[in-house]
Amino acid sequence: MLTIRNLHATVDGKEIIKGLNLEVRAGEVHAIMGPNGSGKSTLAFVLAGKPGYEVTAGEIIYEGKDLLAMSPEQRSCEGIFVAFQYPIEIPGVANLYFLKAAINSIRKYRGFDELDAMELLDLVRQKAKAMNVEKGLLERSVNQGFSGGEKKRNEILQMAVLEPRLAILDETDSGLDIDALRSVANGINTLRSPNRSMILITHYQRLLGHVVPDQVHVLSQGRIIESGGRELAEELEKKGYAWAYEQRDRSVSGAAGVLQ
Amino acid sequence: MGDNSVGEFYSVALTNNFQQADTGTKMIHLGKNTRSTVISKGISAGHGKNTYRGLIKIQKNATESRNYSQCDSLLLGDKCSAHTFPYLEIKNHTSKVEHEATTSKIGEDQLFYCAQRGISAEDAVSMIINGFCKDVILKLPMEFAVEAQKLLGVSLEGTVG
Repeated sequence: MLTIRNLHATVDGKEIIKGLNLEVRAGEVHAIMGPNGSGKSTLAFVLAGKPGYEVTAGEIIYEGKDLLAMSPEQRSCEGIFVAFQYPIEIPGVANLYFLKAAINSIRKYRGFDELDAMELLDLVRQKAKAMNVEKGLLERSVNQGFSGGEKKRNEILQMAVLEPRLAILDETDSGLDIDALRSVANGINTLRSPNRSMILITHYQRLLGHVVPDQVHVLSQGRIIESGGRELAEELEKKGYAWAYEQRDRSVSGAAGVLQ
Repeated sequence: MGDNSVGEFYSVALTNNFQQADTGTKMIHLGKNTRSTVISKGISAGHGKNTYRGLIKIQKNATESRNYSQCDSLLLGDKCSAHTFPYLEIKNHTSKVEHEATTSKIGEDQLFYCAQRGISAEDAVSMIINGFCKDVILKLPMEFAVEAQKLLGVSLEGTVG
């Protein structure tokens, strides 16, 4: 459903992603791990089409279509959802109203009728309950004055309401206490389905203890240097990223590489 | 004017292109125990400049009077500006006057966040502006509120994207 081939991307003229390949099939959950500055969030923004993130080479094919030719809102309407690492505040706009605007423009794009206020309220309440989000959050302005945990849970609620086909969760686990992490993980697990793929971007193994990925990739300096099953995440946690570099260097040159 | 009287003032001002607006009100308290509310919303787009200039005057005899003023400014883009000049003249010691002012900006990040949720830039701007003016629009009679919303939409056409 998603194929990334030899992707190169720059931000402010600086190359961050340097030849990244990734294949995600329908229903799979992939985890992308890597140290700070390895290009994880850049990858999420490139997939979402954020202005200023320029693709200089390579291609991204999403469900047989050229993703890079689409505008950010078109990508969203086609079923791509990014849970932001730092969700944006929109003062004065009630969360519920924001969800209504989002769901109706996506429905319109797909040729469905718009939901009226009552249908929407039913849908959102039901999802909020399933995702363990208090109703009060729906009346407040989008992300304004939300705690870290509330912001992340709100992202998951939006994901539940918008029912994407490909969800990219950018460090949705960072900054959460144990209980919030568990409730976010439960939300993610509830939304796992054979026709929804997910990419979890994370620093730590701990989210992967709750959400078991099909594949784990290690990103370093803009490319994937190691891929494997969930054991890879555990190994990384124990041995650190330096170990992954060593593995790479060994496989690339056949000799033990020099670590920077 | 008389004792216990109440005054309210609500306004929305919008400047676009190179327009400049200097708007506000004078609220003069004469009677005892009088109350007033001023809510002023200013939207600046393009190279627009928006200024709120309001006077709250509480005379010596207007004891125990209260005023609440709120001035909110919203900026679209980085070439516009907003200014707030509240003038307060209070001539007794038993009155209470409150003033609050906020400035917010529709930023690229907000528009991108909306786009990622399928909302076009134009819809996102009108959603944020409607949210911003909500306190004032809600005070208007229904027909007028609908007109006002449409007018805001027309006046801002083409400011984004």
